[in-house]
Amino acid sequence: MKLEAKAFLLVIVVVAFMFLGTYFTMIVPLMDKSLYTPTKDAKPYTALELKGKRIYEREGCMYCHTQQVRNLLEETQRYGMGEEETFKRFGIRALIQAPPSQPGEYVYDQPHLLGTRRVGPDLARVGGKYDNTWHLNHFRDPRSTSPGSLMPAYTWLYDKAGQPTDEAIALVAYIQKLGTNYKWREEGVEQARALQVKRNPAPPAEQSVPPTTTQGGAQ
Amino acid sequence: MNNPSVVHEDTSARWFIYTAVTFFLVTILIGILMATRFVFPEFLGGIAAISTGRIRPIHTNGVLFGWLLAANMGLAYFVVPRLCGTKLYSEKLGLATLGLWVVIILGAVVTLASGDTQAKEYLELNTTLDILVTIAWVMFAVNMFATIAKRSKEREQMYVSLWYLMGTLVWTAVLWIVGNLPVYSGVNDANVNWWFGHNAVGLIFTPMGLAMAYYYIPKSTGNPLYSHKLSIIGFWTIAFLYIWNGAHHIIFGPIPTWLQTVAILFSISLLIPVWTAVTNFYGTLRGKWTQGNYVVKFLVAGTTFYLLTCFQGPMHSLRTVNQIVSKTDWIIGHAHMAVFGGFSFFAMAGIYYTLPRILKRPMYSDRLGEWHFWLSFVGFLGFAVSLWIGGFLQGLQWMNYTIAFLDTVKSMFPYYVVRLFSAAIMIAAQLLFAFNVYKTARGGAQPTPAIA
Repeated sequence: MKLEAKAFLLVIVVVAFMFLGTYFTMIVPLMDKSLYTPTKDAKPYTALELKGKRIYEREGCMYCHTQQVRNLLEETQRYGMGEEETFKRFGIRALIQAPPSQPGEYVYDQPHLLGTRRVGPDLARVGGKYDNTWHLNHFRDPRSTSPGSLMPAYTWLYDKAGQPTDEAIALVAYIQKLGTNYKWREEGVEQARALQVKRNPAPPAEQSVPPTTTQGGAQ
Repeated sequence: MNNPSVVHEDTSARWFIYTAVTFFLVTILIGILMATRFVFPEFLGGIAAISTGRIRPIHTNGVLFGWLLAANMGLAYFVVPRLCGTKLYSEKLGLATLGLWVVIILGAVVTLASGDTQAKEYLELNTTLDILVTIAWVMFAVNMFATIAKRSKEREQMYVSLWYLMGTLVWTAVLWIVGNLPVYSGVNDANVNWWFGHNAVGLIFTPMGLAMAYYYIPKSTGNPLYSHKLSIIGFWTIAFLYIWNGAHHIIFGPIPTWLQTVAILFSISLLIPVWTAVTNFYGTLRGKWTQGNYVVKFLVAGTTFYLLTCFQGPMHSLRTVNQIVSKTDWIIGHAHMAVFGGFSFFAMAGIYYTLPRILKRPMYSDRLGEWHFWLSFVGFLGFAVSLWIGGFLQGLQWMNYTIAFLDTVKSMFPYYVVRLFSAAIMIAAQLLFAFNVYKTARGGAQPTPAIA
């Protein structure tokens, strides 16, 4: 009797095959403790940040923004800090790459929001890139901060007078949290400083290092 | 092949098909609303319930479960009793399944529009709806297995469509239940999401679509199946190979490298089941490409798009290709080729073949059927090719970080315009389809002479 003629037997073999692939590609990673070990800077979400995450999910932000800096040079450069930004905020000219996303940064995410499509830029390292006002303006009128953006205006997160509601504020808190489970900005600046001190042990106080390029880390 | 002593009622088949076509119209209109916003971002803006982030899951879930799965279920209610030489186990159970399915789809529209979502792609439906889907699927599976169990003696050796159908019944149940368990977190949640998401295509819509193609290609051409042996190889390689592929959606992402490599290796091996099935289809279709009417055209084009989309898929998993096309609009073109160009074309052919046989009168208009095919075909090509070119170029721009992200968005504009225009053609075609089905169902007064 051929296998395909035996309905019951066919179902058993189909399930066995399915289990085999599922075991190796899903159950083995589920048992991998290293995927659940938080990075050293990782902190659980505060109530406000968690509320913001729920709004991010409710409005479907993950359909147009990924949250993963892939392990590729162009992504660590694009989503890192450019010289303008490091000079303005840390007084040093350096191109600081964003580290690729690591499993330990996501341990508090349920559901995950890794995403699959970039209609807008990746947000895994966006926390700390802009100030809160920028984000509040951006959600209310995306093209006022980012000309050419395709993002919808989230007017229902604002009251009639145009003031942000609790929801808009929570959403900004969540966005500012993204990527801070790894203190890469601070560590990157520290390393860049150490490198400059090593190269140029006693720089005159007034002199700033000339820029090698003006663009960098621009989103 | 039909046993003349068995009289089929086909009530479940008929009403499932009507419902599927109705949902199809709604979900593609949502699709074009989103396509419009890629050209005019402010279009119908400021309304939470129809903002892009909320209607996007209505479009994807609506097309997959409201249209494609429902259409294939309707066709299964027609095909399975005939392949088993017996009546459907229960038409009443079939209609109850349909009733529940309608409740699920309408519930999905309301909950998703109000922002009630599980926020994982293709797993968005809330827990209540998840449970209802499970119940509906069990009802469908009971009906199918019970019909297969009472098949006539001469049908003891089951036809390939039945293996695929039984596989789908099992795969769907396991995927749906395990995928929806609320116990995963972090990167494992993403891995399980794509274990489900990849196999929703690979182990629900692929085997269901192939089951239909394996039935309707020989039926509508009058040719015997090209090779029984190839169909056996195709089935068992799908059963073995597909489940390993989920992680190829997260290449270069924060999951273990070995997991990505396993997914890549198995992705390449998927060429085996695809090429065996396609060889079988082309072999069965031989000599009928130019003689056939729109039913055969849909099957030929569906087979070709299935071949192409399943060539793209393994290639996307290669790291060098993935680096460029992943996260771009290229993937949107790829997904539409699988779901629209491949499996929807099979389902449409099935509906055009099936409805006249259920209703015992020809389709209302064969000319509309021809128009439906050509507009769908041309519209889809415009849609996909524009996204492939645009997406590929955007992917290349992303590889140079000195090009600002917003500039790469602006560069997509001409491609989004072509996509919108092409989508309008695709939708016009589906309006003709729905009109034709409606008129046929109503018993239109002007039948064309030849039966499809």
